Amino acid sequence: MKKMTKKQKILIAIIALIIIAGIIITATIGLNFDLRYQESKKVELYLEQDFEISDIKAITDEVFPNEPVIIQKVEVYEDTVSITAKDITDEQKVDLINKINEKYGTELSADSTTIESIPHTRGRDIIKPYIAPFCIATLIILVYMAIRYSKLGIVKTILKVVIISVVAQATLLGVIAITRIPIGRLTIPMVIVIYMLTLVGLTSDFEKKLKENNKEEEAGN
Amino acid sequence: MKKIKLLTITLAVILVTAIAFFGVYIPVQNRMEDKVEGYSYAMDLKGGRNIRLKVDTSNKTVVKDSEGNEVEDADNLTDEQISQNGYTKEETPNNPQDVLTYDNYKKSKGIIEDRLSKLGVNNYITKVDDKTGDILIEIPENDNTDAIVSNIATTGKFEIVDSNTKEVLMDNNDIKAARVMYGSNSTSTTSSGTTVYLEIEFNKNGSQKLQNISNDYKTQNTVNVTNTTNITNETNTVADANNTTNETNTNTTQTTEEQKEITMLIDDEEIMTTSFDETLETGKLQLSVGTATTDQKTLQNYINQASSMAVVLDNGNMPVKYTVDENQYILSDMTQNELNIVLYVMVGLVVISLLVLIIRYKTNGLALAISYIGLASIFLLLIRYTNVVISIEGIFGIAMVLILNYIFLNKLLAKLKKEKEVEKETVNKKLKETYKEFFIRIIPICIAVITFCFITWEPISSFGMIMFWGIALIAVYNSIVTNLFLKIKAGK
Repeated sequence: MKKMTKKQKILIAIIALIIIAGIIITATIGLNFDLRYQESKKVELYLEQDFEISDIKAITDEVFPNEPVIIQKVEVYEDTVSITAKDITDEQKVDLINKINEKYGTELSADSTTIESIPHTRGRDIIKPYIAPFCIATLIILVYMAIRYSKLGIVKTILKVVIISVVAQATLLGVIAITRIPIGRLTIPMVIVIYMLTLVGLTSDFEKKLKENNKEEEAGN
Repeated sequence: MKKIKLLTITLAVILVTAIAFFGVYIPVQNRMEDKVEGYSYAMDLKGGRNIRLKVDTSNKTVVKDSEGNEVEDADNLTDEQISQNGYTKEETPNNPQDVLTYDNYKKSKGIIEDRLSKLGVNNYITKVDDKTGDILIEIPENDNTDAIVSNIATTGKFEIVDSNTKEVLMDNNDIKAARVMYGSNSTSTTSSGTTVYLEIEFNKNGSQKLQNISNDYKTQNTVNVTNTTNITNETNTVADANNTTNETNTNTTQTTEEQKEITMLIDDEEIMTTSFDETLETGKLQLSVGTATTDQKTLQNYINQASSMAVVLDNGNMPVKYTVDENQYILSDMTQNELNIVLYVMVGLVVISLLVLIIRYKTNGLALAISYIGLASIFLLLIRYTNVVISIEGIFGIAMVLILNYIFLNKLLAKLKKEKEVEKETVNKKLKETYKEFFIRIIPICIAVITFCFITWEPISSFGMIMFWGIALIAVYNSIVTNLFLKIKAGK
């Protein structure tokens, strides 16, 4: 068995630290979910005219300072705006409507505008549709790798692919947990990219080893 | 000659790039119209239908007799008649307090998700409010969205009751599966078209019950059943259910006074009343939806009706009754400007990477940088004409394809750099070597990509399809265009 270099040892230690810290943070504070997936409040305002998202953003920045807000146009005529924030108090609603009325000359009233609550999305609901595709793909890839790199040891190859793939994903989630990057629409694409890069890295490593193995065999003959 | 050839290919690449990024504008009715196909976006980039299902908190008025039994057809009774008969009026909640539990909300959400999957909705977001039980759903906007919305809000309560006593003979617990089937109504010389059937398959217990019921409720008199279909056991019309009462049934009632009949109810609405011609031993009930037709549009309509019923019955009934409270199309919060920013960032990164390539490999680097731009442009056109839907995952797929092609070209250039003199044969040899090394390393990616192409979940299939076309393009384009560039440059 090859001895690990100092660099490799440091790398493994860093990865282990990231994963452990990630697990602790996830278990204690939890992951930081994007507003889209959090429990939030929403108001819809009929502006009777076309509008720019940037103009509404300027208003929401005043009403909800330093808070993430989702602004969306509603229906085909795009003359209604939907504003979602973590929390919308009655005062903020009044302030928001006053500012909108001022900007667009509308006569919206706070009394007739309701604040709707939006429940949070469960993490498991986000990942559920991706589990089966990843499992199927990984299973086929494992079969392929076991056949292609059988000379390197079938069990060893399979274990290496599984462990490294899991460690890579755990590291990514650890980094997300530590840095408090919100779990949002970019999380799954990041997971896919890391998965793909791990596969390329593993294949390159196996190919290199296979080449060396073949050379050794030829030299032995 | 060599320069002219290189210039021609470069101009062709510039032309394709211009088309891919700016389009082809042709005057149409006093305005300029881009003739290049647009991109199709997924729900995360385009927006979708937002539906809020609210727990039904309303009451229904029930008239009960002195023994506490519910009186049928009470809607026609006046207050006077009610009091004369000794009946009492009661307000009953549509959702009794004991069903409003977290478990039932969760179960309802699960049933809705199953229905969405079976209705072919390939991308959806569902959320349940733990306290109020409200369910929020976001689904893609298309021609079927309205039909889907009407299906997901249905409770899906299925009952077969005795027409007279209203005794419940069978319910959702007896159903194993429901599906749509087709059959042709034909004789040796004529064909009256295709009939759509809703087949309800019952579980072991249900099959036994169906056998007993079909025996108990057997048609007493001979009834002329005119349909000669090759798969039906029963011939009852379900389409336009509320208005349709079979002539068969009418005749039966007229001729046999003691004829017992069953009534099939879905969500307390009467679908049909009938008796059975024979004892059903197969555990399957086939109901014709509409009449036999050769008209494709009508047939599709019947198929849709049958599919909707099959989906609703197949997933059990929701324990909680919901009403559609909000149903509107909301655009994505990711605006066109933000998408443009993503595009500019990608273009910027590509430009920097190509500059590195040119600095490292000089003229060969420049030639392959031009080739790279050509591939990127063709790729952007390809994903538009292959109708690939672009999701956020898809955008990452585009980036991955561009990275993979960069790796391919970098590998090829590194190999060529090692050669003192680059001739046509050397180009061929090095290109072959690069192909072999590159594609062997991405076989696992290809496996994953092909798997993802077959997945119906839109974000992942978008990634798969984009990567598939990208990898195919890398293989084909480089063997033609990049090869040509290098061979012309090599000269000999």
